[in-house]
Amino acid sequence: MNRNVIVVLCVVVAITGLLLVGKRASKSPESANAAGSAQGAPPPGAGDPAKGSVAPVFELMSIPDGKATKLTSFRGKAVLLNFWATWCGPCKIEMPWLVDLQKKYGNQGLQIVGVAMDDTSDKEIADFAHKMGVNYVVLKGTEKVGDLYGGVDRLPLTYFVDRSGKVVDEIVGLRGSADIEEAIKKTLAQGN
Amino acid sequence: MKTGNSGSGMKLHRLFLLALCVGLFNAALASAQEAAPPQGHTFVNFVSAGNVVVSPGHSTPVHFTFHVVDPYHVNSSQPLAEELIPTQLHFSLPAEVAIGKLQYPAGKVMSFPFDPSTKLSVYSGDFVVNGLVIAPGQASTGTYTIHGELKYQACDNNSCYPPKKLPFTFNVKVGSGGKAIPKARPTRTSPHIHN
Repeated sequence: MNRNVIVVLCVVVAITGLLLVGKRASKSPESANAAGSAQGAPPPGAGDPAKGSVAPVFELMSIPDGKATKLTSFRGKAVLLNFWATWCGPCKIEMPWLVDLQKKYGNQGLQIVGVAMDDTSDKEIADFAHKMGVNYVVLKGTEKVGDLYGGVDRLPLTYFVDRSGKVVDEIVGLRGSADIEEAIKKTLAQGN
Repeated sequence: MKTGNSGSGMKLHRLFLLALCVGLFNAALASAQEAAPPQGHTFVNFVSAGNVVVSPGHSTPVHFTFHVVDPYHVNSSQPLAEELIPTQLHFSLPAEVAIGKLQYPAGKVMSFPFDPSTKLSVYSGDFVVNGLVIAPGQASTGTYTIHGELKYQACDNNSCYPPKKLPFTFNVKVGSGGKAIPKARPTRTSPHIHN
Protein backbone atom coordinates (compact mmCIF):
# COMPACT_ATOMS: atom_id res chain seq x y z
CA MET A 1 0.00 0.00 0.00
CA ASN A 2 2.82 2.35 0.92
CA ARG A 3 4.48 1.52 -2.38
CA ASN A 4 1.24 2.34 -4.22
CA VAL A 5 1.02 5.72 -2.54
CA ILE A 6 4.61 6.53 -3.52
CA VAL A 7 3.91 5.55 -7.14
CA VAL A 8 0.79 7.72 -7.20
CA LEU A 9 2.64 10.72 -5.76
CA CYS A 10 5.38 10.29 -8.36
CA VAL A 11 2.77 10.27 -11.16
CA VAL A 12 1.17 13.50 -9.83
CA VAL A 13 4.52 15.27 -9.55
CA ALA A 14 5.66 14.02 -12.97
CA ILE A 15 2.48 15.13 -14.78
CA THR A 16 2.45 18.54 -13.12
CA GLY A 17 6.14 19.07 -13.69
CA LEU A 18 6.10 18.04 -17.34
CA LEU A 19 3.13 20.25 -18.15
CA LEU A 20 4.64 23.27 -16.40
CA VAL A 21 8.05 22.80 -18.01
CA GLY A 22 6.37 22.49 -21.42
CA LYS A 23 4.42 25.68 -20.83
CA ARG A 24 7.49 27.66 -19.76
CA ALA A 25 9.50 26.39 -22.74
CA SER A 26 6.80 27.50 -25.16
CA LYS A 27 7.26 31.13 -24.08
CA SER A 28 9.53 33.25 -26.25
CA PRO A 29 12.71 34.55 -24.61
CA GLU A 30 11.82 38.09 -25.71
CA SER A 31 8.62 38.01 -23.70
CA ALA A 32 10.42 36.61 -20.71
CA ASN A 33 13.07 39.35 -20.89
CA ALA A 34 10.51 42.08 -21.31
CA ALA A 35 8.49 40.79 -18.40
CA GLY A 36 11.55 41.04 -16.26
CA SER A 37 12.19 44.68 -17.10
CA ALA A 38 10.26 45.88 -14.09
CA GLN A 39 9.99 43.79 -10.98
CA GLY A 40 6.44 42.69 -10.34
CA ALA A 41 5.12 44.31 -13.50
CA PRO A 42 2.54 42.46 -15.52
CA PRO A 43 4.07 40.68 -18.50
CA PRO A 44 3.35 42.03 -21.97
CA GLY A 45 0.30 40.51 -23.61
CA ALA A 46 0.65 37.01 -24.92
CA GLY A 47 -0.40 38.22 -28.35
CA ASP A 48 2.63 40.44 -28.96
CA PRO A 49 3.70 40.25 -32.60
CA ALA A 50 6.84 38.12 -32.69
CA LYS A 51 10.07 39.31 -34.25
CA GLY A 52 10.20 38.28 -37.89
CA SER A 53 6.42 38.16 -38.23
CA VAL A 54 4.44 40.63 -40.32
CA ALA A 55 3.27 43.53 -38.15
CA PRO A 56 -0.52 43.37 -37.72
CA VAL A 57 -2.08 45.73 -40.21
CA PHE A 58 -4.58 48.39 -39.20
CA GLU A 59 -6.26 51.56 -40.31
CA LEU A 60 -6.56 54.47 -37.87
CA MET A 61 -7.52 58.13 -38.05
CA SER A 62 -4.67 60.58 -38.09
CA ILE A 63 -4.55 63.55 -35.73
CA PRO A 64 -5.25 66.39 -36.27
CA ASP A 65 -6.47 65.99 -39.86
CA GLY A 66 -8.72 62.93 -39.32
CA LYS A 67 -7.39 61.12 -42.36
CA ALA A 68 -7.80 57.31 -42.49
CA THR A 69 -4.25 55.96 -42.43
CA LYS A 70 -3.20 52.36 -43.03
CA LEU A 71 0.00 50.87 -41.67
CA THR A 72 0.55 49.37 -45.11
CA SER A 73 0.73 52.88 -46.58
CA PHE A 74 4.21 53.09 -45.05
CA ARG A 75 5.53 49.98 -46.85
CA GLY A 76 8.96 50.71 -48.25
CA LYS A 77 9.80 52.75 -45.16
CA ALA A 78 11.18 51.63 -41.83
CA VAL A 79 8.42 52.30 -39.31
CA LEU A 80 8.88 53.01 -35.64
CA LEU A 81 5.44 52.30 -34.20
CA ASN A 82 5.21 54.00 -30.82
CA PHE A 83 2.17 53.43 -28.58
CA TRP A 84 1.84 56.33 -26.13
CA ALA A 85 -0.67 58.42 -24.16
CA THR A 86 -0.85 61.98 -22.91
CA TRP A 87 -1.02 60.70 -19.30
CA CYS A 88 2.13 58.62 -19.69
CA GLY A 89 5.18 60.33 -18.18
CA PRO A 90 7.81 58.03 -19.71
CA CYS A 91 6.16 58.52 -23.13
CA LYS A 92 6.55 62.27 -22.71
CA ILE A 93 10.22 61.80 -21.89
CA GLU A 94 10.95 59.89 -25.09
CA MET A 95 8.94 62.16 -27.41
CA PRO A 96 11.74 64.73 -27.89
CA TRP A 97 14.08 61.82 -28.66
CA LEU A 98 11.66 60.60 -31.33
CA VAL A 99 11.43 64.11 -32.78
CA ASP A 100 15.23 64.22 -33.11
CA LEU A 101 15.40 60.70 -34.55
CA GLN A 102 12.72 61.52 -37.15
CA LYS A 103 14.81 64.52 -38.20
CA LYS A 104 18.01 62.49 -38.28
CA TYR A 105 16.77 59.38 -40.11
CA GLY A 106 13.74 60.64 -42.03
CA ASN A 107 15.71 61.07 -45.24
CA GLN A 108 16.99 57.49 -44.92
CA GLY A 109 13.44 56.16 -44.94
CA LEU A 110 12.37 56.25 -41.30
CA GLN A 111 8.76 57.06 -40.50
CA ILE A 112 7.80 57.35 -36.87
CA VAL A 113 4.13 56.67 -36.19
CA GLY A 114 2.77 57.54 -32.75
CA VAL A 115 -0.42 55.75 -31.77
CA ALA A 116 -2.18 57.65 -28.97
CA MET A 117 -4.01 55.27 -26.62
CA ASP A 118 -5.95 58.06 -24.91
CA ASP A 119 -9.64 58.28 -24.12
CA THR A 120 -9.39 62.05 -24.38
CA SER A 121 -10.53 64.17 -27.31
CA ASP A 122 -8.63 64.40 -30.57
CA LYS A 123 -8.07 68.07 -29.84
CA GLU A 124 -6.37 67.37 -26.52
CA ILE A 125 -4.11 64.83 -28.19
CA ALA A 126 -3.36 67.23 -31.04
CA ASP A 127 -2.63 70.08 -28.63
CA PHE A 128 -0.32 67.87 -26.59
CA ALA A 129 1.53 66.64 -29.68
CA HIS A 130 1.86 70.22 -30.88
CA LYS A 131 3.20 71.32 -27.50
CA MET A 132 5.77 68.52 -27.64
CA GLY A 133 6.88 69.62 -31.12
CA VAL A 134 5.94 66.27 -32.68
CA ASN A 135 7.09 66.13 -36.30
CA TYR A 136 5.85 62.61 -37.10
CA VAL A 137 2.53 60.94 -37.84
CA VAL A 138 0.11 60.69 -34.91
CA LEU A 139 -2.84 58.30 -35.05
CA LYS A 140 -5.75 57.84 -32.64
CA GLY A 141 -5.44 54.32 -31.25
CA THR A 142 -8.30 51.95 -30.58
CA GLU A 143 -8.69 48.99 -28.24
CA LYS A 144 -9.00 46.72 -31.27
CA VAL A 145 -5.64 47.79 -32.63
CA GLY A 146 -4.17 47.55 -29.13
CA ASP A 147 -5.35 43.94 -29.00
CA LEU A 148 -3.52 43.22 -32.25
CA TYR A 149 -0.34 44.29 -30.49
CA GLY A 150 -0.76 42.19 -27.37
CA GLY A 151 -3.21 44.43 -25.52
CA VAL A 152 -0.82 47.39 -25.07
CA ASP A 153 -1.18 47.13 -21.31
CA ARG A 154 1.85 49.29 -20.57
CA LEU A 155 3.25 52.37 -22.22
CA PRO A 156 5.40 53.34 -23.96
CA LEU A 157 5.51 50.32 -26.25
CA THR A 158 7.52 50.55 -29.43
CA TYR A 159 7.73 48.22 -32.42
CA PHE A 160 10.28 48.51 -35.18
CA VAL A 161 8.87 47.41 -38.53
CA ASP A 162 11.13 47.04 -41.56
CA ARG A 163 10.45 48.17 -45.12
CA SER A 164 8.74 44.89 -45.95
CA GLY A 165 6.36 45.16 -42.98
CA LYS A 166 8.07 42.68 -40.65
CA VAL A 167 8.70 43.25 -36.96
CA VAL A 168 12.42 43.67 -36.33
CA ASP A 169 12.44 44.62 -32.68
CA GLU A 170 10.28 45.66 -29.72
CA ILE A 171 11.01 47.93 -26.78
CA VAL A 172 8.72 47.70 -23.77
CA GLY A 173 8.75 50.71 -21.48
CA LEU A 174 11.20 53.58 -21.45
CA ARG A 175 14.78 52.84 -22.41
CA GLY A 176 17.56 55.18 -23.42
CA SER A 177 17.51 57.02 -26.74
CA ALA A 178 20.63 55.09 -27.75
CA ASP A 179 18.67 51.82 -27.58
CA ILE A 180 15.96 53.29 -29.80
CA GLU A 181 18.52 54.63 -32.27
CA GLU A 182 20.26 51.26 -32.44
CA ALA A 183 16.97 49.53 -33.22
CA ILE A 184 16.21 52.16 -35.89
CA LYS A 185 19.56 51.49 -37.61
CA LYS A 186 18.88 47.75 -37.55
CA THR A 187 15.39 48.31 -38.96
CA LEU A 188 16.60 50.61 -41.74
CA ALA A 189 19.11 47.97 -42.77
CA GLN A 190 16.52 45.21 -43.08
CA GLY A 191 13.70 44.39 -45.47
CA ASN A 192 15.22 46.16 -48.47
CA MET B 1 -6.26 -15.03 -2.70
CA LYS B 2 -7.48 -14.19 -6.16
CA THR B 3 -10.01 -11.77 -4.76
CA GLY B 4 -7.30 -10.03 -2.75
CA ASN B 5 -5.11 -9.48 -5.82
CA SER B 6 -8.04 -8.25 -7.87
CA GLY B 7 -9.05 -5.85 -5.09
CA SER B 8 -5.51 -4.55 -4.80
CA GLY B 9 -5.34 -4.10 -8.59
CA MET B 10 -8.61 -2.15 -8.56
CA LYS B 11 -7.29 0.05 -5.75
CA LEU B 12 -4.11 0.79 -7.67
CA HIS B 13 -6.13 1.51 -10.80
CA ARG B 14 -8.32 3.96 -8.89
CA LEU B 15 -5.32 5.61 -7.34
CA PHE B 16 -3.75 6.07 -10.78
CA LEU B 17 -6.95 7.66 -12.07
CA LEU B 18 -7.03 9.94 -9.04
CA ALA B 19 -3.39 10.87 -9.59
CA LEU B 20 -4.06 11.66 -13.23
CA CYS B 21 -7.01 13.87 -12.29
CA VAL B 22 -5.00 15.72 -9.63
CA GLY B 23 -2.09 16.20 -12.05
CA LEU B 24 -4.34 17.56 -14.78
CA PHE B 25 -6.15 19.81 -12.31
CA ASN B 26 -2.83 21.23 -11.07
CA ALA B 27 -1.68 21.84 -14.63
CA ALA B 28 -4.97 23.52 -15.57
CA LEU B 29 -4.73 25.72 -12.48
CA ALA B 30 -1.14 26.71 -13.27
CA SER B 31 -2.06 27.38 -16.88
CA ALA B 32 -5.02 29.57 -15.89
CA GLN B 33 -2.81 31.56 -13.52
CA GLU B 34 -0.16 32.14 -16.19
CA ALA B 35 -2.75 33.12 -18.77
CA ALA B 36 -4.43 35.61 -16.43
CA PRO B 37 -4.75 38.89 -18.31
CA PRO B 38 -2.49 41.73 -17.14
CA GLN B 39 -5.64 43.87 -16.99
CA GLY B 40 -6.40 42.10 -13.72
CA HIS B 41 -3.05 43.08 -12.25
CA THR B 42 -3.30 44.83 -8.89
CA PHE B 43 -1.50 48.12 -8.42
CA VAL B 44 -3.46 49.45 -5.45
CA ASN B 45 -5.30 47.67 -2.63
CA PHE B 46 -7.93 49.04 -0.27
CA VAL B 47 -6.74 48.44 3.28
CA SER B 48 -9.54 49.77 5.49
CA ALA B 49 -11.83 52.62 6.44
CA GLY B 50 -11.73 51.79 10.13
CA ASN B 51 -14.75 51.33 12.34
CA VAL B 52 -17.27 54.01 11.35
CA VAL B 53 -20.08 54.71 13.80
CA VAL B 54 -22.14 57.90 13.63
CA SER B 55 -25.28 59.20 15.35
CA PRO B 56 -28.11 60.76 13.33
CA GLY B 57 -27.48 64.49 13.01
CA HIS B 58 -23.76 64.06 13.64
CA SER B 59 -20.56 63.44 11.74
CA THR B 60 -17.48 61.36 12.42
CA PRO B 61 -14.03 61.26 10.82
CA VAL B 62 -13.22 58.46 8.43
CA HIS B 63 -9.80 57.44 7.17
CA PHE B 64 -9.56 55.52 3.92
CA THR B 65 -6.25 53.69 3.76
CA PHE B 66 -4.90 52.38 0.47
CA HIS B 67 -1.71 50.56 -0.35
CA VAL B 68 0.20 51.05 -3.61
CA VAL B 69 2.00 47.83 -4.44
CA ASP B 70 5.79 48.11 -4.80
CA PRO B 71 7.38 49.09 -7.24
CA TYR B 72 4.49 51.18 -8.55
CA HIS B 73 3.34 54.70 -7.78
CA VAL B 74 0.14 56.53 -8.65
CA ASN B 75 -0.39 60.22 -9.31
CA SER B 76 -1.45 62.18 -6.25
CA SER B 77 -4.79 63.99 -6.21
CA GLN B 78 -2.94 67.03 -7.55
CA PRO B 79 -0.40 65.92 -10.12
CA LEU B 80 2.03 68.55 -11.30
CA ALA B 81 1.02 68.41 -14.98
CA GLU B 82 -2.48 68.97 -16.32
CA GLU B 83 -2.46 65.91 -18.60
CA LEU B 84 -1.71 63.51 -15.75
CA ILE B 85 -4.65 61.65 -14.24
CA PRO B 86 -5.28 62.51 -10.56
CA THR B 87 -6.17 59.94 -7.93
CA GLN B 88 -9.79 60.45 -6.91
CA LEU B 89 -12.30 58.82 -4.62
CA HIS B 90 -15.98 58.55 -5.51
CA PHE B 91 -18.87 57.13 -3.54
CA SER B 92 -22.33 55.88 -4.23
CA LEU B 93 -24.33 56.76 -1.14
CA PRO B 94 -27.69 55.86 0.37
CA ALA B 95 -29.89 58.73 1.64
CA GLU B 96 -28.94 57.96 5.26
CA VAL B 97 -25.22 58.70 4.86
CA ALA B 98 -23.20 61.53 3.32
CA ILE B 99 -19.45 61.97 2.94
CA GLY B 100 -18.01 65.37 3.77
CA LYS B 101 -15.16 67.03 1.93
CA LEU B 102 -12.30 64.63 1.33
CA GLN B 103 -8.76 65.59 2.28
CA TYR B 104 -6.16 63.89 0.13
CA PRO B 105 -2.59 63.67 1.39
CA ALA B 106 0.13 65.70 -0.29
CA GLY B 107 2.00 63.71 -2.88
CA LYS B 108 5.64 62.77 -2.62
CA VAL B 109 7.64 64.73 -5.20
CA MET B 110 9.76 62.46 -7.39
CA SER B 111 11.07 62.20 -10.93
CA PHE B 112 11.75 59.40 -13.38
CA PRO B 113 15.42 58.34 -13.47
CA PHE B 114 15.49 59.18 -17.19
CA ASP B 115 14.31 62.75 -16.63
CA PRO B 116 15.28 64.15 -13.21
CA SER B 117 14.16 67.65 -14.27
CA THR B 118 10.47 66.74 -14.52
CA LYS B 119 8.88 66.55 -11.09
CA LEU B 120 5.90 64.36 -10.30
CA SER B 121 3.61 64.31 -7.28
CA VAL B 122 2.82 60.71 -6.41
CA TYR B 123 1.61 58.27 -3.79
CA SER B 124 3.52 55.08 -3.08
CA GLY B 125 3.24 52.59 -0.24
CA ASP B 126 0.33 53.46 2.06
CA PHE B 127 -1.68 56.63 1.69
CA VAL B 128 -4.69 57.81 3.64
CA VAL B 129 -7.59 59.95 2.44
CA ASN B 130 -9.48 61.61 5.29
CA GLY B 131 -13.10 62.55 5.22
CA LEU B 132 -16.23 62.94 7.31
CA VAL B 133 -19.14 60.58 7.43
CA ILE B 134 -22.33 62.49 8.05
CA ALA B 135 -25.66 61.04 9.12
CA PRO B 136 -28.56 63.47 8.56
CA GLY B 137 -30.86 64.01 11.53
CA GLN B 138 -33.62 61.90 10.01
CA ALA B 139 -31.30 58.98 9.19
CA SER B 140 -32.63 55.60 10.30
CA THR B 141 -30.37 53.56 12.51
CA GLY B 142 -28.76 50.54 10.89
CA THR B 143 -25.63 49.34 9.20
CA TYR B 144 -25.07 50.64 5.71
CA THR B 145 -22.59 49.18 3.26
CA ILE B 146 -21.11 52.03 1.27
CA HIS B 147 -19.65 51.44 -2.18
CA GLY B 148 -16.62 53.50 -3.10
CA GLU B 149 -14.31 53.61 -6.04
CA LEU B 150 -10.72 54.80 -6.29
CA LYS B 151 -9.73 56.08 -9.71
CA TYR B 152 -5.99 56.02 -10.29
CA GLN B 153 -3.31 55.63 -12.88
CA ALA B 154 -0.16 53.71 -11.99
CA CYS B 155 3.39 53.82 -13.28
CA ASP B 156 6.73 52.32 -12.38
CA ASN B 157 10.15 53.70 -13.24
CA ASN B 158 9.90 53.03 -16.97
CA SER B 159 6.27 52.34 -17.85
CA CYS B 160 2.78 53.62 -17.21
CA TYR B 161 -0.38 51.55 -17.10
CA PRO B 162 -3.87 52.49 -18.28
CA PRO B 163 -6.15 54.23 -15.75
CA LYS B 164 -7.97 51.88 -13.41
CA LYS B 165 -10.85 51.87 -10.95
CA LEU B 166 -10.62 50.07 -7.63
CA PRO B 167 -14.06 49.32 -6.18
CA PHE B 168 -14.26 48.85 -2.42
CA THR B 169 -16.86 48.79 0.34
CA PHE B 170 -17.00 49.77 3.98
CA ASN B 171 -19.69 49.73 6.64
CA VAL B 172 -21.19 52.71 8.43
CA LYS B 173 -23.19 52.09 11.57
CA VAL B 174 -25.79 54.74 12.18
CA GLY B 175 -26.75 54.48 15.84
CA SER B 176 -27.52 56.71 18.76
CA GLY B 177 -24.77 57.74 21.12
CA GLY B 178 -22.78 54.54 20.83
CA LYS B 179 -25.67 52.35 21.80
CA ALA B 180 -25.79 48.89 20.29
CA ILE B 181 -27.49 48.83 16.94
CA PRO B 182 -30.61 46.63 17.02
CA LYS B 183 -29.91 43.27 15.43
CA ALA B 184 -33.33 43.25 13.79
CA ARG B 185 -32.40 46.03 11.38
CA PRO B 186 -31.41 44.71 8.00
CA THR B 187 -28.09 45.63 6.45
CA ARG B 188 -28.66 48.11 3.66
CA THR B 189 -26.45 48.42 0.67
CA SER B 190 -25.73 51.47 -1.40
CA PRO B 191 -26.31 51.21 -5.11
CA HIS B 192 -23.34 50.00 -7.13
CA ILE B 193 -21.34 52.48 -9.12
CA HIS B 194 -21.63 52.21 -12.85
CA ASN B 195 -19.38 54.44 -14.86
